[in-house]
Amino acid sequence: MKTIKTIRIFLLGVLFSTAAGSAKAQLFPDSYINIDWQINVPLGNSFADNTSGWGMNFEGGYFVMPSLAVGPFISFHTNLEKIPRQTLDLGNGKALTTNQKHAVFQLPFGATARYCWLTDSVFQPYAGMKLGACYAELSSYYYIVKQYTDTWGFYMSPEIGVSIFPKPSYRMGLHVALYYSYATNNGSVLNYSVNNLNNFGIRIGVSF
Amino acid sequence: MTVKKLSYIAAVLIVTLSACQKEPSTSDLNRDFLVYTAYDTEVNFENFATYFLPDSILIIGNKNQAEYWSDNVAQEIIATVATGLDAAGYTRSYDKEAADLGIQLSYVRRVTYFVGYNNPYWWWYYPYYWAPDYWGDWTGWHYPYEVYYGYTAGSLLTEMIDLETDQAGGRKLPVIWNSYIGGLLTSSTDLNLERTIAAMQQAFAQSPYLNTAE
Repeated sequence: MKTIKTIRIFLLGVLFSTAAGSAKAQLFPDSYINIDWQINVPLGNSFADNTSGWGMNFEGGYFVMPSLAVGPFISFHTNLEKIPRQTLDLGNGKALTTNQKHAVFQLPFGATARYCWLTDSVFQPYAGMKLGACYAELSSYYYIVKQYTDTWGFYMSPEIGVSIFPKPSYRMGLHVALYYSYATNNGSVLNYSVNNLNNFGIRIGVSF
Repeated sequence: MTVKKLSYIAAVLIVTLSACQKEPSTSDLNRDFLVYTAYDTEVNFENFATYFLPDSILIIGNKNQAEYWSDNVAQEIIATVATGLDAAGYTRSYDKEAADLGIQLSYVRRVTYFVGYNNPYWWWYYPYYWAPDYWGDWTGWHYPYEVYYGYTAGSLLTEMIDLETDQAGGRKLPVIWNSYIGGLLTSSTDLNLERTIAAMQQAFAQSPYLNTAE
């Protein structure tokens, strides 16, 4: 965790210093970059339901039209849930009584597109859509064991947000977004099954 | 920037970010026990009436000869097993040769492997610490079903074997039910005993098929 925090601080430092050093209109012409911390809320997921802030989102885009940008994105998130002691029927005459901790780690990546309004103002709202693939690891920790399965699925995520540039000409500001995501990942661990991953969440970060 | 370079960057980013997975703290998982049970689904447990339960627990430790645990703590554990079997309708027999079922208890104090050690001979049967001829003239013993446990320190193994299996013709002694109890290695002897008894009771609670017709 300390390593992750160090990486985050380092990345933010590099980007802030680069942007401040350029002191020009944009870090990259006709483009944007977002680096966000995110809070993810699993929906309808019986495997790891707890809301958490263990995730980030990275994305960038090129304005193919004055209000329309497209580009790549990648994000990651972990949600956990503590499962009290229970007896699981594992089939074929096997049963297991244990307490557990469940984890769902999601790593979606792909392409993103956003349509922006008021592109010369301090508050620049937008609506976007992400499409791509999602890797997800479903894990159960119990006793001294970690039992897990790797899954892949199709990913889609509509999003609305606003970029806030105190000085629009510098394009260095804040970013806030709300998203919903759906992924077709399916898998099972012990006798738990997961069919699709649904989430909504909030992203807060910096925008260039 | 070429597509090839972008692909490399994307691959590095994916691998790097996959290492950012948050691992939950597992230290509090040790505050509870684990009970795993399995049985041979081909066996009808109503066909058995009596069982033989030794008055000692085998210690799997770091000594190169059989070591048995038979103090008051061990007797409480053995009594819990007897209570569970009695409640299932079986009758304890003190005549090993007359009993239908044999129960063997092993406590893993320390995981130590004696590869190639042949005196006493039962190490040849690793990981079968109880020698087959403790029970009679069998050539060996085996699990007729899949088992999924590993030996770790602080574990109690209970194995039920079918003593009605024909000893002639080189037949092996089958284990028809087993339980694995983990998480019994705290610094408190009282807590270990409390957990062991609760876990053993749970092992019987999650094995309702252990019952006799009588």
